[in-house]
Amino acid sequence: MSTEHGHHPAPLSDVEARTRALESILLEKGLLTPDAVDKVIATYERDIGPLNGARVVARAWVDAAYKKRLLTDATPAIAELGFGGRQGEHMVVVENTPTIHNVIVCTLCSCYPWPVLGLPPVWYKSPPYRSRVVIEPRKVLQEFSLELDEAIEIRVWDSSAEIRYMVLPERPAGTEGMTEEELVTLVTRDSMIGVAQAKAPAARV
Amino acid sequence: MNGIHDMGGMQGAGPIAPEHDEPVFHEQWEKNVFAMQIAASGQGLYSGAEFRHAIERMNWIHYLESSYYEHWLTAIETLLSEKGIISREELEAKVKQVKEHHEAIANFLPSNGSDQLASRLEKMVRQGGSTRRETGTAPRFKPGDKVVVRNIHPGGHTRLPRYIRGKRGAIEKVHGSFNLPDTNAHGRGKNPESVYTVRFDAREVWGEQAAVRDSIYLDLWESYLEPAS
Amino acid sequence: MDIDREIANMQGATALPRKNGELIFSEPWEGRVFAMAIALHDEGAFPWEEFRHRLMAEVNLADCKSDPAPDYYELWLAAFEQLLLKKGIMTREEFECRKAEFASGAREEVF
Repeated sequence: MSTEHGHHPAPLSDVEARTRALESILLEKGLLTPDAVDKVIATYERDIGPLNGARVVARAWVDAAYKKRLLTDATPAIAELGFGGRQGEHMVVVENTPTIHNVIVCTLCSCYPWPVLGLPPVWYKSPPYRSRVVIEPRKVLQEFSLELDEAIEIRVWDSSAEIRYMVLPERPAGTEGMTEEELVTLVTRDSMIGVAQAKAPAARV
Repeated sequence: MNGIHDMGGMQGAGPIAPEHDEPVFHEQWEKNVFAMQIAASGQGLYSGAEFRHAIERMNWIHYLESSYYEHWLTAIETLLSEKGIISREELEAKVKQVKEHHEAIANFLPSNGSDQLASRLEKMVRQGGSTRRETGTAPRFKPGDKVVVRNIHPGGHTRLPRYIRGKRGAIEKVHGSFNLPDTNAHGRGKNPESVYTVRFDAREVWGEQAAVRDSIYLDLWESYLEPAS
Repeated sequence: MDIDREIANMQGATALPRKNGELIFSEPWEGRVFAMAIALHDEGAFPWEEFRHRLMAEVNLADCKSDPAPDYYELWLAAFEQLLLKKGIMTREEFECRKAEFASGAREEVF
């Protein structure tokens, strides 16, 4: 589906004209639907292709010494993998366990660890999440289809200063034989914010 | 300030409603706004604290009804105008011009060709811009100390959410010293202070309705805290 | 879809351009042609290996020339065009005609 509407006076570049021509022909021939192209882009931009944070998590899952460094002083540990920069100058990584579940928010605005998770999704920056997750975290997580037992301790981290947080999700069961590269594919952005668990191996898409 | 942005614990906002397969930017103009903010703050035209405070000063209705990147756009307009970099009149005249002659929009952007700025900004994005500063002053609190959050209500910029004021907690971690936003946003100096992660029982904050095991952690500047008696 | 992993993890000269781990498209058309190739593959029009093979051929072709190296997605676009022609999904005439309509501004919408 065209993203340009109405008046487009500037002449198209050669590559733009070619691209449009292809899309137009393919749509006409019924080989493509208008949504298909947008959907592919969205999928790839969101979670095919590892986020930097997913690499950090997978490394921590396979390397106990790395995990210890990560939980003790996250910024240099994350930098070991080549990641860092704006809005990630002071990182803290918090670990999910069978009894503790962490979730991150910035109630005052939208602070988020850009270098490991990219830019935050709209819901993270919007009033419902910002207002509700500190006061009713279980209900909020239910909206993400994450049901947590009452016995689990929920820790909500409100990024009110310059420290930026990332959750180290639990390693899913049944992943013992997997390589680090394979493990990366199980780690979603939502699991590193704390509104989801990492994906189970069979559910890998 | 006790503004509309300070919404931790407010009720009635409705469902989270995450968008499936959400793109990073929904519209082209958002990308331009994003880049302008990086370029403006990256060149020191204004600080992060001033930027946040400009958003906090938005009219409540406007804040709630506008999209996230419109908050950014409003803040950039506000700050550039307040700092005398672009006057309101200039901006309004240009907006009018763009609307009336949108077909010539390509001609509005002067080609500048400053590669230097681009590479400086890229470097800054990669290296970051920490506001951490050495002070030589020892932190007042240490991990485990019991503290109470001061009941202060500054009318200007602060990073002390309303929902935690007056509440009792325990120091979890001591971080270094960082520029104090409460003064930095108003040109009253950087005044770096120790920042602490403080742990609060959820029931301390929300009463009996909260789960007994749950907790909330906030990062607070030293002047936001008092020792608990 | 494991094919997505395969595409996302192409190596060497055919590797998708990324920044901070995320895909980058310098221009909107790049994202469009990227997605078109994948969407059409998903419809069963061709095996991925066939596209990748053509992409590699375009890379090699570009290496032989002394002209400045084309951007990644120009190679992708060329590979995709060739594939569509080879498979008879469009004729050269159809393509040139439609391209001219867009280039001249006679046509603006893709549908």
